[in-house]
Amino acid sequence: MERFIVNRIISLVPVLLGISLLTFILIQLVPVDPAEVYLRLSQIPPTDEAVAVTRAELGLDKPLYQQYFDWLRKVVQLDFGLSFVTKEPVMEELLYYFPATLKLTAASLVIVLLISIPLGVFSALYKDTAFDQMCRIFAFIGASMPSFWLGFVLVYILSLKLDLLPVYGRGTLAHLVLPATTLALGSAAVYTRLLRTSMLENLNQNFVLYAKARGLKERLIVVRYVLKNALIPVVIAFGMTLGHMLAGSVIVENVFAWPGVGRYIVSSIFNRDYPVIQAYVLFMAVNFVLLNLIVDIICGLLDPRIRLGGD
Amino acid sequence: MFAQDFVYESLVEYGEGGVIKPHLAESWDISPDGKVYTFNLRQDVKFSDGTEFNAMVAKKNFDAVLANRDRHKWLELVNQIDGVNAVDEYTIEIIFKNPYYPALQELSLIRPLRFLGEAGFPDDGRTSEGIKAPIGTGPWVLEDYKQNEYAVFVKNQYYWGVKPKIDKVVVKIIPDGETRAIAFEKQEIDLIFGSGLISLDSFRQFRDSGKYQTMISNPLVTRALAVNSNRGPTREHAVRVALQHGVNKQALIDNIFYGTEVKADTLFSPQFPYCDLGLQPYAYNVEKAKTILESAGWALKAGQEFREKNGQLLELELCFDSANNVQKALAEALQGECRKIGVKLNLIGEERQSYLQRQKDGNFNLIFGDTWGAPYDPHSLVSSMRAPSHADYQAQVGLPMKAEIDAKITEVLLSTDEKERQDLYRYILSTLHEQAVYLPLSHGTNIAVFHKNITGVNFDPQRNRIPLVNVDIK
Repeated sequence: MERFIVNRIISLVPVLLGISLLTFILIQLVPVDPAEVYLRLSQIPPTDEAVAVTRAELGLDKPLYQQYFDWLRKVVQLDFGLSFVTKEPVMEELLYYFPATLKLTAASLVIVLLISIPLGVFSALYKDTAFDQMCRIFAFIGASMPSFWLGFVLVYILSLKLDLLPVYGRGTLAHLVLPATTLALGSAAVYTRLLRTSMLENLNQNFVLYAKARGLKERLIVVRYVLKNALIPVVIAFGMTLGHMLAGSVIVENVFAWPGVGRYIVSSIFNRDYPVIQAYVLFMAVNFVLLNLIVDIICGLLDPRIRLGGD
Repeated sequence: MFAQDFVYESLVEYGEGGVIKPHLAESWDISPDGKVYTFNLRQDVKFSDGTEFNAMVAKKNFDAVLANRDRHKWLELVNQIDGVNAVDEYTIEIIFKNPYYPALQELSLIRPLRFLGEAGFPDDGRTSEGIKAPIGTGPWVLEDYKQNEYAVFVKNQYYWGVKPKIDKVVVKIIPDGETRAIAFEKQEIDLIFGSGLISLDSFRQFRDSGKYQTMISNPLVTRALAVNSNRGPTREHAVRVALQHGVNKQALIDNIFYGTEVKADTLFSPQFPYCDLGLQPYAYNVEKAKTILESAGWALKAGQEFREKNGQLLELELCFDSANNVQKALAEALQGECRKIGVKLNLIGEERQSYLQRQKDGNFNLIFGDTWGAPYDPHSLVSSMRAPSHADYQAQVGLPMKAEIDAKITEVLLSTDEKERQDLYRYILSTLHEQAVYLPLSHGTNIAVFHKNITGVNFDPQRNRIPLVNVDIK
């Protein structure tokens, strides 16, 4: 298992290098000159002289490969430069906003699990019953409803009309309920269906028949054998979704005025704050890659064939 | 920016109609050559830490800004100041390189020339890299701040002027307009103040419900299109004039702004200094627009929707910021208006930086741009018309009299004679009006929505100021 983890970590290095190169090249393809953006954001009219001076200051007059290596050398020391807008270190800003997003995502994760595991399991066990049909309707609605609309519907009913929860902001646990639920419902719907399908596949396996023949109790068979196996594809998909939640919580953050990294990056993209965009892409890539690693480890723990196959 | 205005104050204030009023300076004298301004400071002003505001600390603030001229180059005032002297404890004089008539107007700005207390300065005295603490003379003191969440202001106990009626102001940062509206309805917010903060649909709903109070300010800026005299069919004066007659501005205001803005006939509202010139508006008249185009050779062939001349289609590009919903709605409506007179308007919506790039490069036939509002209008905007990096310059550069316009602009800013200045503005603004290089649409306003238990809400001529001193909660 250790070797499996070490191998995976070593394989991260070329992946991250590739992503850093790709990010760097993509930014070069954007037709607006970063020096002009910098000047505009500093409220300085971008005259030709000012642009030339700024290009030299930012190192944009050097050959591309040199710019890339200069940037990479600093990145390795976790120095992503200063934001064009705030003039603060990008790393500090990312770390300031990221915990809020992490908290929101973690809360959503809990809600996804609380909804999708019981619904998925019972809709498989009670296949084609009224309960299963209701879960199906929930899944269709949940998966197809855009999160900004869902957010407003929840705010309108639960905050404005019933006065149960605050409209926006963070602070108490009550503040977390609406944004986390909004973020979670779409995924919960998808995972309910995924788990149901996976459960049904496993319920038809021979090992279930064998367990039944051995006289094991139904509950034991479902929880210890069927669910454990059925979770593997769900966990794999979950790794990707979690990454998307971390990177894509921007709409929910906007609706609920949640001061997370999503809002930060969207305003940076509109401002063409290049150092922030580059750092964010790399930061999120690291998150994705690490989440995948964690997922692989969990799958290894759930299924010995995976971890032993690695040895 | 309004937050800086809560904490820091200026030497003078910009009142209604551009009248300059005393503030931290109770009076001032201007030397006959217009190069030395002597300000007599109030003697009863203290900073929020209890220290005195006097000529020495005022000079220190000026010096800190002047030490960092490059950053403030956008403001002609900073370029024109040669130095500042403390004459005695409560008198300062500002020495100018040239006579610069808008000096007082620009001294009323929220930044950069306001005053930080001694204890707020960093050890090296340079404020460009940040300050130690926000200590000002204004009515409010910043008590707490959380980036991207909220800021809390409390009364400045040492305030010299009219003391605020409420003890505390919490400014909440809510990025989404609909969430703001719901939070207001749920009474989590007392007052919404500004422009573009809630959708105009929400504003109309609040106004019509009768449950809340709503107010609309006087015109603060002008929403206009710059019309490029140096590119494609808009090089022709006739095409530019036809556009002026072809747009039903009132319909735009009724249907897009629900009456929250006012129709604009000129680039600057006549209430701004030197702008009440009695210019003849271009009336909405589709038939006249068609006749003008027809006479200029842009003919409409039978069965065709758009006009042509020498095989060239009368086709224009209107560029806008795709994230700006108001611009988008206006652009779509204008497309329909232009079709009525046989002009094909192609809409180019791009994200902000690309849109700004087009302004700079002149890569447009028509492009949106607001005027800057008080105290910049008209002088600062007119001044920027000489800079090639501005859409105004690009729009005007095809005019045969552009060099003369620029020369008059330079003259007007340095002129010390009131009558001469008025004549120069008359030439500049009436020429731009006659040449139809701007298509003014509406005068932008601020709106205020507040609960019925709130009194004393008012507007300031400056767009970014929120005057809360008289606001009270019953």
